[in-house]
Amino acid sequence: MRFINKCLCFVAIFGAANAGGPTLVLLDNLAIKETHSIFFKTLQDGGYTLTFKLADDANLQLSKYGEYLYQHLIIFAPSVEEFGGVLSVGTITDFIDGGGNVLVAGSSQSGDALHELASECGFEIDEEDSAVIDHLNYDVSDNGYHTKIVADSVNLIDAPAIVGNKNVSPLLYQGTGLIADTENPLILRLLTASSSAYSYNPQTPIRDYPHAVGKNTLLIAALQARNNARVVFSGSLYFFSDEAFTSPIQKAQDGQKYEKSGNEAVATMIARWVFKENGVIRVSAVHHHRVGESEPPAAYTIMDDVVYSIDVQKLAGDKWVPYETNDLQLEFVRIDPFIRMTMKPVGNGRYEARFKIPDVYGVYQFKVDYTRIGLTHLYSTTQVSVRPLQHTQYERFIPSAFPYYVSAFSMMGGVFLFSLVFLHYKEDTKPKSE
Amino acid sequence: MLPNKTSVINTRKDMFPDKKSTSKQMKTSTLTNAAGLNSLITFTVLLLAWISGFASRLFAVIRFESIIHEFDPWFNYRATAYMVQHGFYNFLNWFDERAWYPLGRIVGGTVYPGLMITSGSIHYILHSLNIPVHIRDICVFLAPIFSGLTAISTYLLTKEIWSAGAGLFAACFIAIVPGYISRSVAGSYDNEGIAIFALQITYYLWVKSVKTGSIFWASMTALSYFYMVSAWGGYVFIINLIPLHVFALLIMNRFSNRLFTSYTTFYILGLLLSMQIPFVGFQPIRTSEHMAAGGVFGLLIFVATLRHLRTVLTKSEMKYFGGVVAVIAAILLLILICLTYAGIVAPWSGRFYSLWDTGYAKIHIPIIASVSEHQPTTWFSFFFDLHILVTTFPVGLWYCIKRINDERVFVILYAISAVYFAGVMVRLMLTLTPVVCMLAGIAFSDLLELFFKEEDSERDRSNNGSEEESEEERERSPGRALYDKAGKLRRMRHERPRGNGDGLGVNLRNGVVIGAFVLMMMFTLHCTWITSNAYSSPSIVLASYSNDGGRAILDDFREAYYWLAQNTPIDARIMSWWDYGYQIAGMANRTTLVDNNTWNNSHIALVGKAMSSNESAAYEIMTSLDVDYVLVIFGGMIGYSGDDVNKFLWMVRIAEGEHPQDIRESDYFTERGEFRVDSEGSPTLLNSLMYKLSYYRFGEVKIDYRSPSGYDRTRNAEIGNKNFQLTYLEEAYTTEHWLVRIYRVKKPNEFNRPSIPISKRIVARNANSYVSKKTPRRKKGYIKGRPTIIKGQKPQRKPT
Repeated sequence: MRFINKCLCFVAIFGAANAGGPTLVLLDNLAIKETHSIFFKTLQDGGYTLTFKLADDANLQLSKYGEYLYQHLIIFAPSVEEFGGVLSVGTITDFIDGGGNVLVAGSSQSGDALHELASECGFEIDEEDSAVIDHLNYDVSDNGYHTKIVADSVNLIDAPAIVGNKNVSPLLYQGTGLIADTENPLILRLLTASSSAYSYNPQTPIRDYPHAVGKNTLLIAALQARNNARVVFSGSLYFFSDEAFTSPIQKAQDGQKYEKSGNEAVATMIARWVFKENGVIRVSAVHHHRVGESEPPAAYTIMDDVVYSIDVQKLAGDKWVPYETNDLQLEFVRIDPFIRMTMKPVGNGRYEARFKIPDVYGVYQFKVDYTRIGLTHLYSTTQVSVRPLQHTQYERFIPSAFPYYVSAFSMMGGVFLFSLVFLHYKEDTKPKSE
Repeated sequence: MLPNKTSVINTRKDMFPDKKSTSKQMKTSTLTNAAGLNSLITFTVLLLAWISGFASRLFAVIRFESIIHEFDPWFNYRATAYMVQHGFYNFLNWFDERAWYPLGRIVGGTVYPGLMITSGSIHYILHSLNIPVHIRDICVFLAPIFSGLTAISTYLLTKEIWSAGAGLFAACFIAIVPGYISRSVAGSYDNEGIAIFALQITYYLWVKSVKTGSIFWASMTALSYFYMVSAWGGYVFIINLIPLHVFALLIMNRFSNRLFTSYTTFYILGLLLSMQIPFVGFQPIRTSEHMAAGGVFGLLIFVATLRHLRTVLTKSEMKYFGGVVAVIAAILLLILICLTYAGIVAPWSGRFYSLWDTGYAKIHIPIIASVSEHQPTTWFSFFFDLHILVTTFPVGLWYCIKRINDERVFVILYAISAVYFAGVMVRLMLTLTPVVCMLAGIAFSDLLELFFKEEDSERDRSNNGSEEESEEERERSPGRALYDKAGKLRRMRHERPRGNGDGLGVNLRNGVVIGAFVLMMMFTLHCTWITSNAYSSPSIVLASYSNDGGRAILDDFREAYYWLAQNTPIDARIMSWWDYGYQIAGMANRTTLVDNNTWNNSHIALVGKAMSSNESAAYEIMTSLDVDYVLVIFGGMIGYSGDDVNKFLWMVRIAEGEHPQDIRESDYFTERGEFRVDSEGSPTLLNSLMYKLSYYRFGEVKIDYRSPSGYDRTRNAEIGNKNFQLTYLEEAYTTEHWLVRIYRVKKPNEFNRPSIPISKRIVARNANSYVSKKTPRRKKGYIKGRPTIIKGQKPQRKPT
């Protein structure tokens, strides 16, 4: 009778539909503004309005009168122990839950606040003073502790939407390692260390087993929350610095030399992703109806042929353009999916599925649940009722009932004939008995 | 003295008007218009019975308001309103997507439509007469109105079986007897309200057709049986009792052509008609409950054939008659068993097994056993519902057995089977009540007949003579030729002198008469008291009485349902235990998962599993079922015993039946096998969803200064799990007396990012390693290792 069309993702996406937007940048000290000027410049060129504040500024606030002042937050303040003003880990997680995007960079000296924030997002930053050490892949400019490591670009996550082209020069990294909650399905491992790396305090002899070893050591990790808010954690503030962007890179061991590290390209792409310039898709329209009709009926009947189509769009710059893919699936669900099929792209970002409703009545949902790494979660359900046949919709005459029709009519005829015979027989017998 | 005497005679006539009316001559009658007076008295008594029956059912309406009661009536009302609004065919095809989400329910095919059609047609007639009555009022007052019709049909049936005097007694009894009022007070808009009428009128027409042997009455029986089938599942009682009657008559060698005509006509027409009800469908030819009727039909034809053959052939077959019958019956039974094993004939349904074996339901079908009205009846409730009738009805039964004839065989079988079934299930007290009223009516009528008649024995003797004459005449008269020969036995010769004995003085006679009237007055008082106190609560509005006699109305249920209707989205899905499904659908107009039409046990078990699991396991079930709100009934605040915690063990049992690997009933008991909600209760219970939803924030409540906080009045215990938080649900609404509590189920996207709790972190950190230095005045944060400037000192920098 009624169908409910709810697209949970709409609201969250509209909030951040425009590229750029007000961004708060929290810094340890104002010098970072200068040492990371290339990164900030790229952002400002991309349309972001950056507001630089010290992390312990007494006037910090993210929201005013219930409205968020900023869409994005960059925390380049590794050693902050407590944020100033009304800002705290709690307000930052509320900001994430409210749809804000956060880029955080830590270092070996990461303070309490960052540890807490990381745990809230499903990561852990390794202990203070620990650093990622790799005795095989360190840069030639390393100071002897093998902490300025060269991360191969093959260790980047396989998602062009997030990190762009993977064929870039190796990446320079100096900082602590991250550990991800293995049970958290929302975490993306953007950049892992090589198998020979581990995370420990480089100045003390190793007594315990390191918390992060080999590929489990995350260098950059991301969380795309269920409301599509994005959070990127980097264990290294150095990764975003001008020095790392511009310096040549060469592994100390086998030594192919690159004029320029891949940091700038990757950092820019990650920043574009985390601030929702890339990988944002949405459902713009959903249509369903019987084959040969154009409007959805009040309720479908079992065994109906239906057409379901959905329009998917992608954010490009500040425009929504059709999103083209070939792996969009539709499920027709009543507790369990009764039908699951890949939809056919019919051009212009529209996908279509035609199928026959199963011979089971109930309340169903057309469900499109499209989760791809780097893209926002596309989720659309449309509830429809599927009713059984009405009493007029059954077949009127079925062949197996013909014997019964014959018997009924022959009985009627028989009774008629019999009563005729009976009446006439009675008249005949009377004279005989007399 | 003379006026006195005549008045006594008049009373006698009033009591037994049929005696006079049947005798054509009226030789002894002192009044010339006795027949008119008789019918006036009959009419008056029946009218008064109707009115008093109607009036005594109005307690609930007067005390509360004109409202639909309880649970099932809400669905019936909703369905009726739908039918009135959308028409009959749309009702027949109604697919209710708001019930049993997401399965849906085909209402037209799973409901006995007689009730809706009855009140719908009353509504239609009244509206075509330009009497604008809301359909709710028709629904509320339908059962009291039909109680009058029941009284009339009981009168007719008793009149056919015994006498008009007994009929009037029976009509008066059934009008006010609590056993019937319990299902037919105003607002109790349920199938039983009209079904008892249909039952009695069917039996009346059946007895009438057996007596007359006319096809007309047999067809009328079939039609009224059709109405019964459309009204109530209890029609199975008819379709087994009538064949049983026929079978008993065959065994007693009382076969007659009248019996043959009436049963064959009734059976074929009734079978065809009953199959027209969509809910019944092919059951009459496929299920075991209906097989007896078919078997008796075959047997009757067989017997008739044999009788016919006997007239044609020799008489030597008589000896083998019984043997052949037995063999044929055995063969038929064998065929039936074979068909049952082959799966063509469905075996007995669970509810029927529980009729034979009272322990069956408890073991195999907890959902049937969980309903309070399916429990075995206690002796107390027999007296409670029937009072004096329960002691007098064996007397009437004895009279019937002593003066047996065809139709009295029927009432004897009716009485015996109804007594048995009423003993098995509280609910079937309802089918016992009419026959008890009839037999008690016979007993009282006969008693008074005895003790009034002896006032003047001469007159009585002459009466006797005239009656004998009239009986002879009756036998001779052609119209009565078909009349049952056993009718003569009605007044046996040896009965008379005993009552006529010289030993009974006036005082004794008066004493007995006065005693009988006192008994009946006490019966009336009892009926009114029971009706007023036990059966007139709408159960959706509760009343409590304070010490000073003041009355407080607890309207929590409607408050909660109204809140749901006003504050939740129109398509919100509400999970509750199935008892409240119909009310939520009817009053709040929201989608429910399970309701009182308990057709899908596994779906109910799923809800039961969600209620008995811990919060996170329940959340998985709830999200898979798209639950938006959870509604629980909690009586611990005001001491309401019918709440969900008391029903909880049934949820566990039903869930265990379907999910034995996840839910075990023993987990919910303490080691000593007790069900306790206090701190000694089992941890599984204290962490179950139902417990948490019932007692959320209850630990903070201190009801009075004598008891500790969180003291549950229903179970008289201090709850064991007081300070807990809900993770996956949040409290949405709690009514004034905490009777209904509604929780909102959080959506998955409200758990935005799974954070790592401190206990699970790999990197060990002291959670309080940093103590906040912020004050309301000084909002500056702290960055470690930052050079701080202290006047008079050189800037220092910690080595990194």
